[in-house]
Amino acid sequence: MKIKKTKHRRIRWGRVAAYLLLLLGTVAVIYPLFYMLMNSFKPGTEIIHYPNRLPSHWVLTGYQLIWSQLNLPRLFANSLFLALSVTILNVVLDGLAAYALAKIPFPGRGPLFGVMLGTMMIPSVLFLIPTYIIMYRLGWVPGFQALIIPGAVSVYNIFLLRQFIRQIPSELVEAARLDGASEPGIFFRVILPMSRPALGTVAILTFMGSWNDFFGPLLYLNTPELWTVQLGLYQFQTSVPGENAEQIWAAIAVITMPLVLLYFLLQDQFMAAFANVRFK
Amino acid sequence: MAAHSVWTQIRRHYWGYLFMAPWVLLFLAFGLYPLFLSFYLTFFNYNFINPADQAFVGLGNWVAGFGDPLFWHSIFNIFYNQVIFIALTLVIGLAIALLLQTITHFGRLFRTIYFIPTVVSIVVVMTIGGYLVSPTGPLQGYLVKWAIMDKAIFWKSELWLSMPVLALINTWKWFGIETVILLAGLLAIDPQLHEAAAIDGANSWQRFWKITLPMLNPQLFFILVMNGINGLQMFVEVYMNFDLYGGIYHQALTPVLYVYAQAFDKSNMGYASTLGLMLAAIIAVMTAAQFRFVQRDVE
Repeated sequence: MKIKKTKHRRIRWGRVAAYLLLLLGTVAVIYPLFYMLMNSFKPGTEIIHYPNRLPSHWVLTGYQLIWSQLNLPRLFANSLFLALSVTILNVVLDGLAAYALAKIPFPGRGPLFGVMLGTMMIPSVLFLIPTYIIMYRLGWVPGFQALIIPGAVSVYNIFLLRQFIRQIPSELVEAARLDGASEPGIFFRVILPMSRPALGTVAILTFMGSWNDFFGPLLYLNTPELWTVQLGLYQFQTSVPGENAEQIWAAIAVITMPLVLLYFLLQDQFMAAFANVRFK
Repeated sequence: MAAHSVWTQIRRHYWGYLFMAPWVLLFLAFGLYPLFLSFYLTFFNYNFINPADQAFVGLGNWVAGFGDPLFWHSIFNIFYNQVIFIALTLVIGLAIALLLQTITHFGRLFRTIYFIPTVVSIVVVMTIGGYLVSPTGPLQGYLVKWAIMDKAIFWKSELWLSMPVLALINTWKWFGIETVILLAGLLAIDPQLHEAAAIDGANSWQRFWKITLPMLNPQLFFILVMNGINGLQMFVEVYMNFDLYGGIYHQALTPVLYVYAQAFDKSNMGYASTLGLMLAAIIAVMTAAQFRFVQRDVE
């Protein structure tokens, strides 16, 4: 009785310390984003002279300047077009390949899967130069097809989807086959609806990777009409300190907030996309 | 008879080949063919703007590559950066995952917040981070105010500071992913293991080293291999903050930045291909070593 009481009353200092440390981490994560938003609403001279203070008066100068100096709707349309094309192609084509690897016992399946896993280990730097030369010879530079066509499939996504589709009972597939359903019919009517969580993961990873990509567009979309948001923003970066200060902060706020909002809407899917990765 | 049955199988499951066709065709065109082209180019001086100038140089590019001090400097730079980056993210990621496991409230809120930097693009992260650590930024401001530093430092022109500062900024972006991966691993550990060890008299420090860490081996292994493959190919971070040769001392020259500079600044496509293959070989050796030594511990 006595023991129980003291245990109940004791403050758990370990737990308090844990909360304090986690709070400290929260500040470290939030502060840079707060800093970005705060500076995006400042007049240019204040950004240069008092970068670490709250604005004395909040202005939209930066946002007005990027609106007039860049074709923002065009940048967003380009980024969306690129990211959505790659995402839709990956969901369908990776899904089909994963279904074949998981449920269709075609001869040669094992060795083919082995080759695919091996290609995951090839560092992408190997493709940088030869792919650029191939695209250049094809006349695809600059052009979206240079990023969309090679990016239409991904071994990593196929691998993730295969793991998921393998867990769908084979009886379901067999029953559909006995009912006379074609393989594409089984894929679209049985496999796709049942794989929605895994397809969501693939869609999120692909969309985010494409939206945030800088190197690909730098190589293949380096002309104002094809600029993505990431490349458009980069035009304000100069080596002259203080130059374009207003535009830089407004521009990075504009390209960051859509994805952060999307993340808050779909946070469980985002985290699941990263939590379940491992080799096996 | 056997051949006949294989043929029957192939015909019966032809949809399998059709479904695999997009990957196979794209891999042949934009995977296998570039690999051969890359290797082929290492024997030539080649410039894609004037392809007619192509000249066979034998092993010249390879000899030059092995003897190129800038290439080895870039290899040293990226390892210097990655050792700091991996140490920082692993310690912070694991510490936060362990803290998240001990608390009873707001766990979901904390995880949500820590994961935000993952969705912020590297261009944005480097822009914000660059300002925060700049000589006029808040970080150095407070360090000088609290007399931890004498005066503000221009880190982009410091020989030994450029790579650690980039590693620090990258830590902000990536520790959240490692937290989520490691927390998933922690939650999968059977609590009975800890209870049994506690009954046997093991304290929490011993349990951490003998139970928690070994059980997290698959996650740690994944993080190490992925960092090895991706981290060693750092480009945007240095491209944004430095010139194409990594600053005045080449202190931020990474191998991929050097490949890029050789290809698009010097128009040496053949030499750039050679350097790319050399980097890929180094990454392959690293990955193989990790598979051999880290994975062996799992069993």
